[in-house]
Amino acid sequence: MSFLEVFQYTRQESVIHNLDPRAKLVISICLAGISLMFTDIIPMVLMICFLIPLIAAAKSLKRWATSMRGLLPLLLFIIVFNTLLSTTEYPFSHSIGLSLRLVALMTSFSLFFLTVHPDELSQALIQMGIRFEFAFAMSMAMRYVPTLGQEAYAIMDAQRARGVELDKGNMLKRIRNIVPIIVPLIIVSIRRALSIAESMESRGFGASEKRTYMETLSFRKRDWGVVFISLLGLVILIHFRFFFSLPEWVSWGLPF
Amino acid sequence: MPLVEFVDFSFKYLGSDNLALRKIDLRIDEGEYIVITGPSGCGKTTLCRAINGLVPQFHRGYIAGHVYVDGHDTRESRVAELARVAGLMFQNPANQLVTLNVAKEIAFGPENLGVEPDKIRARVEELIETLHLEHLREKHPHEMSGGQQQMVAMAATLALEPKILVADEPTSNLDPKSAESLLAILSDLNRDGMTLVLVEHRLDLVSRNATRLVLMDKGSIVADGPPRKVLSLPICEEIGIGIPKATQVYKHLKRNGCVLSRVPLTGEELAISVEEACNK
Repeated sequence: MSFLEVFQYTRQESVIHNLDPRAKLVISICLAGISLMFTDIIPMVLMICFLIPLIAAAKSLKRWATSMRGLLPLLLFIIVFNTLLSTTEYPFSHSIGLSLRLVALMTSFSLFFLTVHPDELSQALIQMGIRFEFAFAMSMAMRYVPTLGQEAYAIMDAQRARGVELDKGNMLKRIRNIVPIIVPLIIVSIRRALSIAESMESRGFGASEKRTYMETLSFRKRDWGVVFISLLGLVILIHFRFFFSLPEWVSWGLPF
Repeated sequence: MPLVEFVDFSFKYLGSDNLALRKIDLRIDEGEYIVITGPSGCGKTTLCRAINGLVPQFHRGYIAGHVYVDGHDTRESRVAELARVAGLMFQNPANQLVTLNVAKEIAFGPENLGVEPDKIRARVEELIETLHLEHLREKHPHEMSGGQQQMVAMAATLALEPKILVADEPTSNLDPKSAESLLAILSDLNRDGMTLVLVEHRLDLVSRNATRLVLMDKGSIVADGPPRKVLSLPICEEIGIGIPKATQVYKHLKRNGCVLSRVPLTGEELAISVEEACNK
């Protein structure tokens, strides 16, 4: 699952990290939209060549490269099956184009997820009009994922110590083995949820109609610039793609 | 007017057969440092919850009598409002940290109360400095030790600027060293004027600084007074609490006819008393 790493926030000090999350959302969506408009190899290569410097600006090239290496088996799978099953004229060339598109799409979205801290994301949602409770629930989910994981391991160890053989037996047996883990895990989680609720209540959760925020996001000039350029790029490319006949070289492909 | 006053207060949790608190009469004045102790299930936690209104607002059940906190009846005021007066620290630090970094955590309470952002920032910086949390600033709660988590939880509670800090066994998940430093900070806070209610089993660590020791058993208060006085009562052995070693030695000597000049709480005090007795 290492290819998912590219969607995980990494703390860095970079130009991209410092942009407003809303601006980054716009640029990511525009880039993904552009990637979806083409399937040929040349435009996809150009797209990736455009994206890589952006990832480099976010100081995350290494992480991106690891992720892409992790993605390799999936890409090969796409290429093999598409080549065998596709009905297009040059199935291999088409499959290459498709897998490059997947890379471009992932990279476009990773630009957002790599550089937006979950807290910033929830703050952005709040400022976009989502109720605090919902946005906060999301960031709390992120907060408690590792805690829950730890708890699951503790329960697994406890059950092993009592003789439950978790990784033995056939498929059906293994699935049934999940029960002695899941049941205590749910009970523990409900208890924990109550205790968290108690502590949040004691800290005034829901006390005031007018909740304030220590940090609020502010859209600066450069954020507007990014939004403007992204939208302009998107519009221009839509224009060329759908209202012009593209030059020959754009649709160049391998002859098999 | 006392800061907190329990008037003939009884409480039974929904679905339970026994009273968790029985006819509690307790008054807490400003500036006191009260240690509450007693065997498990004696009602200490319920008493803490009653001070900030979690009982009966969050945990429902049968109630008799009243609790007044800074003039508010806890039956009528919401927990969120009482949070401005009484700050509560819980046993499990992980369950108190709900955000992804320290500054946000400290800001969570004041944000809920609608304090202005500038003031929140100032409070956060001040607490990070006074509680020495600078090195934790960017850490995920998951990456901190229990002791560090509890420190952050304390900062988060203090950020509400409560008049009274109630800590329910804050050291039970901590190693001895972290426990000691946490308790030292608590007694510093009390010295600076904070009213403190602390549930604690390790009396050898806290009874020297406490102004009052409250002993609970089966939902009732069975002894209440200065630590030295309460600890010398025979009821301490009857219900089984962690009497400091030095006090145990004192009691043993007393039973054998050797009465020291005062009840010692620490090894040092015991040594001094014994020395005095020998010199006579």
